Parts: sequence; structure tokens; C-alpha cells
Amino acid sequence: MTESVLIKLALLILFLPLIGFIVTLLFGKRIKWLYWFENSILILAFLLSAVLAYFKLTHFTDQTLISEFEWINLGSIPFVKSIIIDLGIMLDNITVLMILTVNIVSLLVHIFSVGYMKGDKRYNRYFSYLGIFTFSMLGIVLTHNLLMMYVFWELVGLSSYLLIGFWYEKKTASDAAKKAFIVNRIGDIGMFLGILTLFLTYNTFSFDKIFYQISTGNLPFGTEFGLTVAGVLLFCGAIGKSAQFPLHVWLPDAMEGPTPVSALIHAATMVAAGVYFMIRVFPILSGDALLVIATIGALSAFIPATIAVTQNDIKKVLAYSTISQLGYMIMAIGVGAYTFAFFHLVTHAFFKAGLFLGSGSVIHSMHHEQDMTKMGGLRKKMPLTYITFLVASLALSGIPFTSGFLSKDGILAGTFAFGSLTGYWYFAAVGFIVAFLTAFYMFRAIIMTFHGKPKNKEKFEHAKESSFVMAMPLVVLSALSLFFWYSLNPFNPNEGKLLSSWIKTPEISVPQSARYEFMKTDDKIINKENLEEVTYSNSYTEAIHHAHYPTLFTSASLALLGILFAFIFYQWKVFDPNKFAEKLKPIYLLSFNKWYFDEIYYASFVAGTIGLSKIISMFDNKFIDGIVNGSALFTKNFSAFTGKFDNVVVDGLVNMMAYISGMFGLFFRRFQTGKVQTYILFVVFSLIILLYIFR
Amino acid sequence: MDQILNSLHYIKPEISAAIALSVLVIIDLIMGKNKKYLSIVMILGLLATTYFIIEQFGNSSFAFNSDSSKFGLLAVDSFGSFFKLLIILSSLIVVLFSITSYEIKKAKERLGEYYSLIWGMIIGMFFLVMSADLIVIYLALELLSLSSYVLAGITKDTLRNSEASLKYVIYGGVSSGIMLFGISILFGNTGTTNIYEINALFQTQQLQGLVVTLSALLIFAGIGFKISAAPFHFWTPDVYEGAPITITAYLSVASKAAGFALLLRFTKVTLIDSINTDGSWNLISLIDWKTFLIIISILTMTLGNFAALWQNNLKRLLAYSSIAHAGYILLGLIALSNEGLMAVMIYFVIYAIMNLGAFFVVMLIANKTGSEELDDYRGLGKVAPLLTVSLAIFLISLTGLPPTAGFIAKLYIFLALINSKMIIVAFIALLNTVVSLYYYVRVLKYMFLDKSEKEIAPIKINFANSILLIVLLIPTILLGIYFTPLVEFAKNSIALLGF
Repeated sequence: MTESVLIKLALLILFLPLIGFIVTLLFGKRIKWLYWFENSILILAFLLSAVLAYFKLTHFTDQTLISEFEWINLGSIPFVKSIIIDLGIMLDNITVLMILTVNIVSLLVHIFSVGYMKGDKRYNRYFSYLGIFTFSMLGIVLTHNLLMMYVFWELVGLSSYLLIGFWYEKKTASDAAKKAFIVNRIGDIGMFLGILTLFLTYNTFSFDKIFYQISTGNLPFGTEFGLTVAGVLLFCGAIGKSAQFPLHVWLPDAMEGPTPVSALIHAATMVAAGVYFMIRVFPILSGDALLVIATIGALSAFIPATIAVTQNDIKKVLAYSTISQLGYMIMAIGVGAYTFAFFHLVTHAFFKAGLFLGSGSVIHSMHHEQDMTKMGGLRKKMPLTYITFLVASLALSGIPFTSGFLSKDGILAGTFAFGSLTGYWYFAAVGFIVAFLTAFYMFRAIIMTFHGKPKNKEKFEHAKESSFVMAMPLVVLSALSLFFWYSLNPFNPNEGKLLSSWIKTPEISVPQSARYEFMKTDDKIINKENLEEVTYSNSYTEAIHHAHYPTLFTSASLALLGILFAFIFYQWKVFDPNKFAEKLKPIYLLSFNKWYFDEIYYASFVAGTIGLSKIISMFDNKFIDGIVNGSALFTKNFSAFTGKFDNVVVDGLVNMMAYISGMFGLFFRRFQTGKVQTYILFVVFSLIILLYIFR
Repeated sequence: MDQILNSLHYIKPEISAAIALSVLVIIDLIMGKNKKYLSIVMILGLLATTYFIIEQFGNSSFAFNSDSSKFGLLAVDSFGSFFKLLIILSSLIVVLFSITSYEIKKAKERLGEYYSLIWGMIIGMFFLVMSADLIVIYLALELLSLSSYVLAGITKDTLRNSEASLKYVIYGGVSSGIMLFGISILFGNTGTTNIYEINALFQTQQLQGLVVTLSALLIFAGIGFKISAAPFHFWTPDVYEGAPITITAYLSVASKAAGFALLLRFTKVTLIDSINTDGSWNLISLIDWKTFLIIISILTMTLGNFAALWQNNLKRLLAYSSIAHAGYILLGLIALSNEGLMAVMIYFVIYAIMNLGAFFVVMLIANKTGSEELDDYRGLGKVAPLLTVSLAIFLISLTGLPPTAGFIAKLYIFLALINSKMIIVAFIALLNTVVSLYYYVRVLKYMFLDKSEKEIAPIKINFANSILLIVLLIPTILLGIYFTPLVEFAKNSIALLGF
């Protein structure tokens, strides 16, 4: 395995799903079994990505492999700088782990969909869309420059749009698709401006070159503030794609798409692209930008968690939980817990995909019933789905011996350390509250769905355990939600290879003065105990280390407490949740109505746009018409004149241009007599004229 | 004698072409009425010649030197090889067109002559692009012209076919006569026919400006006839319309490429004074060649575009469009810089692909409907989606809209122009492009928006033809998106011998 082989392997993995997409799209209508082609391509891609990951992580652990080629070289252009655009891919440990994650989830979702989508009239079309999605997602992961990042970013947006609106006959589905697309566009404008800012400053899109330029002190607009602005603008893209506050409103609606799609795109991979993007550009995020990111992340972790507590649609609960978990990751990046953000991204991808597929299994057997108040007791009917759903929920809640416990604990330790170093404690506070809420709403969902007595007898009777193709992905995903894949010590993630040697916080390119205090490398402090010099960045690791055990106990007990509360309210019914809701009515309503975000947006932006257009048309009708009517007499006379002017002069000018063009043509055609002797005459004449001119 | 023998390995492609021509004639004689294998022999010959051209890349030397001089009759360089490769590949494509062309099938008994005359053209063009001597230029030009006169009338089935051939002969004869006159004046005043030596004389000795101007103008008449630059273009629409469509396509691409190669070499070798470090050229002051070219170029494209507005026959429309394109290509030369030279070469590759593609579709449609009239294109979009969509892409590329290759071709021409600070000329060219949009898009309107009054049967094309069509289609789009390799290739091939 040499470097070039690895690069070729990565390119092969990237383009395999594209081939699947093209073939399935073109011939899918005629050849019914073609979805197996797409599935086998995914199996191949998965195997290859496992090989790729193995060799990259064992043989090239500390290397970043870059392969690029010159796409456009326009040389020096007058009035503009020289434009040279390179395209290329970059392979580091994060890339290969992400590829593996994407391909595992994508493969399992493909297999699950074989059962879930059976009988759909656009069966092959569905698989081809999954293919283009996988291709675009891998493109985001592999790219080494902002331009390709943006192109593939939009491509995943497109495939997300296509898949949310897959059942476009349903009005809600096509509306949701449009909403997702438009809301994402808002974030993307920011991202685009950010990319342009960087391109105009550095004349390149490549990450490594931009990072290098920044580390030499060359900043956008020459100020640290410019760098912060660029960082925040780039983050706007992540706000849209990762459904962060305040653009999170599209994700719950996106649940109108087929459930496996929700698992793949709106839980495990695409929405994580925002986090991945932030991980990629982490070295250029200044301290102020990071603080903005952390704040947005904290809000996005908190608000949806409170909403999820009262939702009755099982997919909506999972959707809000996804936003909340993505908020965790974004917050982790904001507080500098880079490695844990990525770690949580990976673990979350597996258990959240497991949860979504589990809910898909339930929905499938309940004949497309998503309301949890109509479920219950499914534990006995669907034991396998129940167990896998339970394991994944434990992971999401952060109960020990699961993957989620390891990664979430890391993030909480990061926020805790951040608090101790900077004094911003509220990130840690939000982290713990959300941990409690998460455990509570997940077990509320489990109890409502699987425990208790069936609410809808008829549907309950028909419910049965899902077939092998649907059950197998559940088992695999719940197995991947256990701790031992990541670290053999269930209480310390740092002992696993993943965190100890594969993922490391990169070198920061931001100038020292624009960093967080504790990220500065030149300021040294004396460690009181050992009297040796340590840098502040070491002190952050140190602080995380110290925070590890306290947070571990706190978060585990908060999660257990959440589960306990869920059981108290919904299983044992010690308190009636409805009465409780009645007592806390304002809070309950706030949560149940999703903090009225949709209503606020509708009342402000949507209604604002419509209102503005109404005002303009009113202005047109009343004001302009009024003036026009008021001066009718004048107008009448004047219009006679302007009418003439219009007809004669303006139309005349326009027509004249066309007429002249035509006449020119006719004039030139006149020479084409068809007689060769005249042609020769013309030639001789023109030669004489030319000679006369140039003599 | 030694010189001749030593030089032989410089003309391997030409020797290969001559051998292929002989083999073709012999096989045609032996096989008699059986014409099955001719196309295969033709293609094999083309491939063999292609191999020798590729092998020749990077060579830079004179061939057939006379004993006393360091300059030879032929200049073997990358620039020539580039154009030879372009010529041979377009020949290959045209031969592939010919296999399915209905017109050529009807004249099957003359297939042997048809192919041998194409070889004649190829050999003529090969010598034309590498000639460093006025005599060779004239001989090569005549070989090329004589072969093409016959080819224009090869099918003999319609009156317009023979008419085209006859007009071409008369017009061509006069043009080459004028050119010969110019050559003789130049020879009489300089005492040499070698363009390198003439250049040396231009630079050192005081010649009369009028003599130089007169001879250069007269020589340009011969070249202008080949590249159909106004006002020497009058034959073009008539011949293009009358000739079989494969030959029309061939004349509009290969023959024009050879003519341009000659013009570029003539300008850069004969009329040059010095080359600046930034790659721009200073021409000799005896003649205002730049202004002359600007006038010719603007006249050519304006005339081509405006006359095309009124055409209702697609072949004739493409004829005028090819005149207009000659005008655009001249712009690259006007820049008088290496950058402009590169732009011309890029333009030619792209122009060859898209123009051949457009002619191919017109031919495939004419094979079925028997007509090239625009009226018969109404509603074809429904019955022949692949053909019409391809034609649409070729036409959009000819207009020069992104993301097609035609955009890149024009982009480099305009960049070269602006770098040479000729903004007004660039602006006029831009306006011309707008005019051209009208007649190209008009074809699309006929195909996709208009409805046919009569019922038309679906036009099916066979597998081989759809592959060939896609082979032409892919670079038309791909080169609009990823063009760096082409640019690099052109950049590496601008090396003219002696500069």
C-alpha cells in the first residue's frame, strides 16, 4: 500500500455510488432488479473503505495525504488577479473514519430500505437518490478545498430535497422539501460569502494553503475581526445544514421523507456535515468565532431538548433529539473539545441511525402510524426491535457501557474544563441539563411505544417483527452503540486508539492574540505541583482530565435520574403527566408548540415578505394610481404625446436595430449572386481598395 | 542527395500518407466492384499516419536544406505537428461520417477515388503546415485545392454538386493565380523563396514598403481563399451548400486549419521583427499588417454572422457560421502574441469538434429526411431527441455559451485580445457573438418549439453512429468544464521553428 494506491482507493470509493446513481437512474424504470446493483455497489464501497481505513490508520497514521490537480488556470487576467483553481482530495485520519462511518450507515440504510420501501412505485428511483446522496456526502468528506466543499454541500442539499419530497404527491412532503431547501439556502449564502472572503484574500480554495497563509499572519481585511467574520460566515453554512438554532426549523419537517432517509440523511450523515465542516476549518476559527459557535451550539442543544419532551410523534422526538445532539457537537467545537466533537459525531451516527431505523421498523409494522399515543406494548410483538432500540436509547442517554456515554462524557468534560479555564460555566450547565432531558424524553418514547398496554388494538394485532433485511441493520447498529469498539475501558474514552492516537487537535493557524487564552502557545505558566513549564493548550487537556471523573458521575447520575423520572411519569404513573402539564401550562405549551418558531418565522419573515409585497402593490394601486388619476387631464394630453414618442421613437429604435441587422444581412447576401465571375470581380476590387488603404 | 536522404525521416507522416494512398489505389484496382474493404484500409492508413505524427512531436529542425543555406524547405516543429494531428483526427472523423453518409453511398463506385482524393488533401495540408518556402507553400496549396475541387463534385448526382465544383475550380484558380503573382513579386525583389531568408532581408535591407504590401496582400488573397476570410470568402456558401456534407465538414475544419497554420507561420516568420519577453510580437514596419488583419477579421465575422441571419438551409447557415468563426480565429492572430497563438490553437481544437459534430447531426438527419432545409426541422425534437439535443449542444457551443467548450475557446481569444489592449476589437467581437446567438437559437426554436404540419416518422440512428455522436459530444461539454489539459497541450505546441 503506497500513498498513491490509497488515493486511488479513495477516489474509487467516491465514484462508486455515482456509478450506482447513474445506472439505476437511467435503467431503473426498465430493469426491476437494478436496486441490487446499487446495493452491491454500496457493499463494495463499504469493504473498500474498511481497507482504506485500515491501511491509513495503521501505516500512515500521522500523515495527511493530499492529491490535487490544476483544474483551471486562466493565467493573469487583466484587472483581476491570476486565477488558478486546484481541485483535489485529502486523506487524514478523520477523513477515513468519516468515510467508513458514512459507508456503514449508508449500506445498512440501503439494506433496510429493501424491506421498508418494498412495493413503492418509484423503488429504483429511491435507490438511485440514495446513491447520489452517498456520492455527494463522500465528496464533502474527501475534499481538500472550499470550492468542492461548496459544490458537494449543495449536492447533498439537492439529494436531501429529492428524498424529503420523495412522496411528492403528499402536500406536506413537498412543502417540507421546499422548506428544507429554502432554509438551507439562507445558511449557504453566509457560507458562500465566507468562502468568497477567503478566496479574495488568499486567491486559493485549498484548506492547507489558506491555513498556511493565516498562520503567517495574513488575515482577511488585515484584521482579526475579519478572520472572526470569515469564521462566523462559514459557520452559517453549518447552522443551515446541521439544523442549528435559529435555522433548525426544517429538520423536524424533513421527517416527511421515508424513515430510512431520515436515518441516513437527517440523523447520521448529512446533518453532521456541518459539524464535519467546522472540524475541517477549526484551525482558522478565532476565539470570538468559537464563542459564537459554542453559544449557538448550546442554544441548539437546549431548546430542542425541551421540545422533544412533549412531542407525540416518534420521528419528531428523534428529530429534535438530533438537533440537540448536533448542538452538543457544535458546542464541543466551540469550547475547543475538537476530538470529542468528532467522536460524538461518529457514535451519534450509529446510535441515532439505529433509533431511526428502529422507529422505521415500528412505523412499518404499525402501517405508517407515527403517533406514540396510539402505540404501546409493542415490546412483546417486536422483541428484537425493542432491544436494539433500547440499546441505542441507552447510548443516546449516555448510560455507561455504551458509546454515547464515552463521547458525551468527553464533551461535558470539555465544557467543564472550558468553564474552569475561562469562567463561562453556562456551557457546562446546559450540557448537564440536556443530558438529563435526553434520558427523560428517550425513555418517555420507549415507554409510550413499547411498554404498557396497546392503545390501538387493531393495529397492534397486525403488528409483527420485521423481516431479516430490516432487523439485521438494527442489530448491527445497536452493536456499534456499545463501548468496546471505541475504548476497552468503558469509563475512559482516551484509552481507545481512536482518541489516543488517531484523532488529534490540529495546529491552530489563528494569530495568538485572537485565540482563547488557553489555546495560546507562547504564554507559558508554571504548573504549581511539578514546577514544570506547561502551555495553556496542555492545561486544557489537563483540565479535561481533571474534569473527567466529576462529569462522569454527574452525567451518569443525571441520565439515570432522567430515566427514573420517565418511569415515574409514564410507566408507574405515580404522577399523571397530563395533570403535570396542566399545572405548568405555559411551559408545556411553549414546548409542545416548539417554542413557536414556525409561527414566529411565519409571522415575521414569511408574512413580512408577503406584507411587503402587499404594501408595494398597495402603494402602486393607491398612491401611484391616485397621482395618475389626479392628474388625469394632464396625463391624457401627455400620454398622447408619449404614446407617439413610444411608438415612433422607442419602438422605432428597437425595431430599427433589428431592421438594421436584417438589412445588413440582406446587404451582405446581395454579394452572394451565385455568379462566379462577379465573385472574382469583388475579390479584385477589394484587393485594389485594400492596396489603396495600405499603400 | 545526402540532404534529401537525411531529411526523409522528418517526413515520415507524409511518407506514410503517400504509401497509404498507393495501397488504397491498388486495392481499389484489385477489388474492382467490391468496395467493402476500402474504408477499413483508409482508417488503418489514417491510424498509422497518426502514430508517426505523434512520434514526431518535439522535433524541431529544418528538412531539405539546400547546401548553402541553414534554412530548409520544410520546418519540422511542434506547431506543425499540432496542426497535423488536428488534421488527421478530423480526417478520421470525416471518414467515419462517410461510412454512413447516404450521399457517399449513392456514389459508391467512386469510393476509391473519394478516399484517395482525401489522402491527396491530407498530404497537401501536411506540407502546407510545415512549409518554409514559398514554392512549397504554393505546391502544397495547389495539391490541397485540386483534390478538394474534385471532392466537392464527387457525387455528381445533383446539379448543384457539379456547380459547386466548377465554381470552386474557377474561383480557386484565380486565387492561386493572384497568390502566385504575389510570390513572384516577393521573389523578384528578394531573390529568395525561403521565408526565413526573406524575413532576414526584411529586417536588414531597405525594401520598398509598397512592394512588400503588394506582395503580402496578394499572398493573403491565396490564404484568405483557404480560410474563407472576407472578402475572399465568396465561394464558401455556394461550395459548402453544393458539396456532399462530409466534404463540407472537412473543408470547414481541416482545410481551414491548414490555411490558418500557414497564415500563422507566414505572419510569425516572415513579417516578424522581434519578440518581447512577455510573448508579444513586434512586426516589421514596412507594412501595417496588424491593421490589415483587424479589418479583415472584423469584416469576416460581421459578414458571416449577418448573412447567416437569413439562411434557411442548415448547410448554408453553417457555412456562414464557419466564415464568422474564421473571423474570431483571426482575432487570436491579431493579438500578435504567443498567448494569442495559443488561443488560436485551443480554438481550433474545440471548433473542429463542435463543427464536425454539428455537421454530423445535419448529415444524419439528412440521411433520413433527405433535406437540410430549416423548415423540415420543425418538430424534430420530439421524434429524434438524441440528435436534436446533441445539435442543440453543438450550436450552443458554437455560440460560445458556458458551460460548453465553445465558451472556453472564445474566452482565451478574448483574454489574449484584452492582454494586447485591444478592447474595442474585443467589444466588436462580443457584439458579433450576440448576433450569432440569434441564428443558432433559431434552429433550436424550429426543432423544439415549432410543430410540424405533417407527421414525421421517428428518426432512429444505429449504435455505431450514436457512439460517434457521443464521442463528439463529450469533449464539447467536458472541455467547457475541465480544459487545463488542452491548454497545456496548446501551450507546449506553440513552439515555431526559429522562435
